[in-house]
Amino acid sequence: MSPHILKRLLDRLRDDGQPVRTDGGTAAAGSETAGSGFDLGSTLSSLRESDAVRSAPFWLPPFLLMGFFVYGAISWNIVISFTDFGGLQLPTYDPSTFDLEMYRRAFSDGQFWIATRNTFVLLISFTGLSLAGGLGLAILVDRGIRFENWFRTIYLLPFSLSFVVTAVFWRWMYNFDSGLINAFLRSIGLDFVASKWLTGSIDTGALGAIPLVPDTFYFKLFAVIFALLWQFSGYAMVVYLAGLRAIPNDQYEAARVDGASILRMYRRVILPQLRASTVSAAVVLMVFALKAFDFLYVLFGSNPGPTADILSTMMYRQAFSANQWAYGSAIAVILFLVALTVVAPYLYGEYRRGEL
Amino acid sequence: MTDTPDSDDVSRRTYLKLAGGAGAATFLAGCTGGGGESTTESTDGSGDSESTEETSGDDSDSSTEYNALEVQHWWTGGDGGAAAQALLEGFNEQYPDIELTENPVAGGAGQNLRAVIKKRILNNDPPSTWQAWPGANLQPFTDADKLEDIEESVWGHNDMKNAYLDGPQEAAQPAGNYVSVPLNIHRLNNLFYNVEVVEDAGVDPASIDSPSALVDAMATVEEAGYVGMAQQTNSAWSTGQLWAQVLLGEYGADVYADVTAGNVEANADAVRDSLDIVKQYSEYYPNDAGSISWQDANSKIISGDAAFFHQGDWAAGMYRAQDDFEYETNWDHVAFPGTEGLYSLNMDSFPMPTNNPSPEATKAFLRYVGSVDAQERFNPKKGSIPPRTDVPQDAFGPFLQNQMDDFSNSEAQPLSIQHGLAVAPNALTAFEDAMASFISSYDVEAAYSAIQSAFQ
Repeated sequence: MSPHILKRLLDRLRDDGQPVRTDGGTAAAGSETAGSGFDLGSTLSSLRESDAVRSAPFWLPPFLLMGFFVYGAISWNIVISFTDFGGLQLPTYDPSTFDLEMYRRAFSDGQFWIATRNTFVLLISFTGLSLAGGLGLAILVDRGIRFENWFRTIYLLPFSLSFVVTAVFWRWMYNFDSGLINAFLRSIGLDFVASKWLTGSIDTGALGAIPLVPDTFYFKLFAVIFALLWQFSGYAMVVYLAGLRAIPNDQYEAARVDGASILRMYRRVILPQLRASTVSAAVVLMVFALKAFDFLYVLFGSNPGPTADILSTMMYRQAFSANQWAYGSAIAVILFLVALTVVAPYLYGEYRRGEL
Repeated sequence: MTDTPDSDDVSRRTYLKLAGGAGAATFLAGCTGGGGESTTESTDGSGDSESTEETSGDDSDSSTEYNALEVQHWWTGGDGGAAAQALLEGFNEQYPDIELTENPVAGGAGQNLRAVIKKRILNNDPPSTWQAWPGANLQPFTDADKLEDIEESVWGHNDMKNAYLDGPQEAAQPAGNYVSVPLNIHRLNNLFYNVEVVEDAGVDPASIDSPSALVDAMATVEEAGYVGMAQQTNSAWSTGQLWAQVLLGEYGADVYADVTAGNVEANADAVRDSLDIVKQYSEYYPNDAGSISWQDANSKIISGDAAFFHQGDWAAGMYRAQDDFEYETNWDHVAFPGTEGLYSLNMDSFPMPTNNPSPEATKAFLRYVGSVDAQERFNPKKGSIPPRTDVPQDAFGPFLQNQMDDFSNSEAQPLSIQHGLAVAPNALTAFEDAMASFISSYDVEAAYSAIQSAFQ
């Protein structure tokens, strides 16, 4: 991004540099020597006059704050990951001692791979299911039902709650004895489905022979995914709803006149036009999935165990409980790269289509 | 509600999340900002410290002026809050001329405070003293040479060396010299039970002589229609505590000490067997163990749904707060089976950092923490017992009086694993990982090798 901005700034400078303004004393002073072409005074005055400089009070403070607190912190974190910083002694930050030991350690750490696997399972299934759920809700709400606004609000409401709140009450929901989920299952006679949602598992039996299918399937991570799904499909719904509303009514009518069934109409006419909504909702959801730390932390503490451990909880433990600052930083950098690979294709796509 | 190191009730977790986030952000900012400055800061800091010490040395001669004392702790509410206030009031009465700043950091069973302290130590800007688990938990500080020897200046006063038993004294010397002063003890080898339930089931808790015998007792209790052991498995620490007591009860204090010292392989059978016993216990946990907190679990004892409960003796605070739930008639306590004569320690202490902003005032405070007066004010309110054995028992309730007797007569005081006394923070984190895996699959072999690599 920054080279782009720089280029634009330079263009502006070049454009604004030549025309001499007469509405200011300093500009007049500069204009006398403008003819000589290569003059410090005129460059300075034109610099002072340029849009970039004149607007500096507006963009410079946030630029510096962001640069320092966000990008500075990220860079510093990367530097720490190259050191052996641990315990309570500051590292020397001598570039000759920098190495990739912490990354090697991560790649040979079984726990790291478990956390990575869980992170990706969470990322993919949560995003996919939220999009599907959100699209379904959006289409239903868009069918011109009564009390449409009510439903829209009800579905969006969970999104406005904090992770802390939803984590606590999902813990109650999942309680084996008194939780609402099991109470509901029992009330409709499905006692055998009622499970210990947070600690239980199911033997996959013969399915375990299929590659990538574990022998024992633990519910824990999927209990987390389901709770997040409940919280975020409302958001996906709103994004899709906006996308649906942007499609002119003519197209629905044209499809109907041509005799398309509802299913066919959505599949062939409507869904292809929701690409932009899908991409933007997916990016936001994926970023939320990577931030699921809060939810897990409130639900299980800093150690959710191998069935629900993700990279961010592991990073926190290594840094703040075990004092392995460098190792924690290395995990953070890896997590950052994962987040970047999620966002980068989107940014690139938008850039290519000239929307950035 | 007690303010114990491990309470993880809802409000605490809420705090935890908020404060933890803020703490993490602060820490990051500290690191980032410190980039260029940190080295200069540290040299400046040490320069300051010399001058401070010189001047305060002069001060102590005239014995009139002290630098302001800053004490950080995580006792912000409930029993802990009241106890901390009582302690600080007592100190104010004795040293009215020392200006005292209390700077508590709430939440996270001390995790938030620990993050703040680490940041301050790294920036060479420690508080005067802070609440810390003693023992191996302080090892990173002694490794980095951040704690001062206080054998003469503090432990030489108030007859402390005679009044403290060996276990607490050992914990005060993580690297072989005295750097910290323990203030209170919570016992970990407890087995609480509901009197009516065990009588109804026909089990006599006093006759259960080993952790493995407890399995049979719980089976009998379950047959009578109660939950055998009220335990939470929502987070791993309770199981970490429980396993340690099983190892201690089944194999004794020497094996326990040997295992925590890192000799897991030499005691492979003991470790595997004790894990297996915990696995057998798990058959008698409540159905909703995975989604409850330790307070929820303890409520099952109070409501008479469960028979036995293992927890630190902060759990008794909930019984005290309950009307019509009396010691010895409704609930009672035995040492965890097989651990009679032992007193498993979980302690809080106040260490003495180097580069101290107020060396003389801190020493005065630490001497006070080690005194009878301080421990008599603090402990009855906290629901813990004093590490000094010469504190009068009058201010304590009947349960704590019995605990104090047990403590005075104990043969050994093993250091806790889960609460940082026996193992350093990185080993503790790895141990908690092992326990978190264990409670999801109860795979004894996997847990054994995880413990082995944790304690190495």
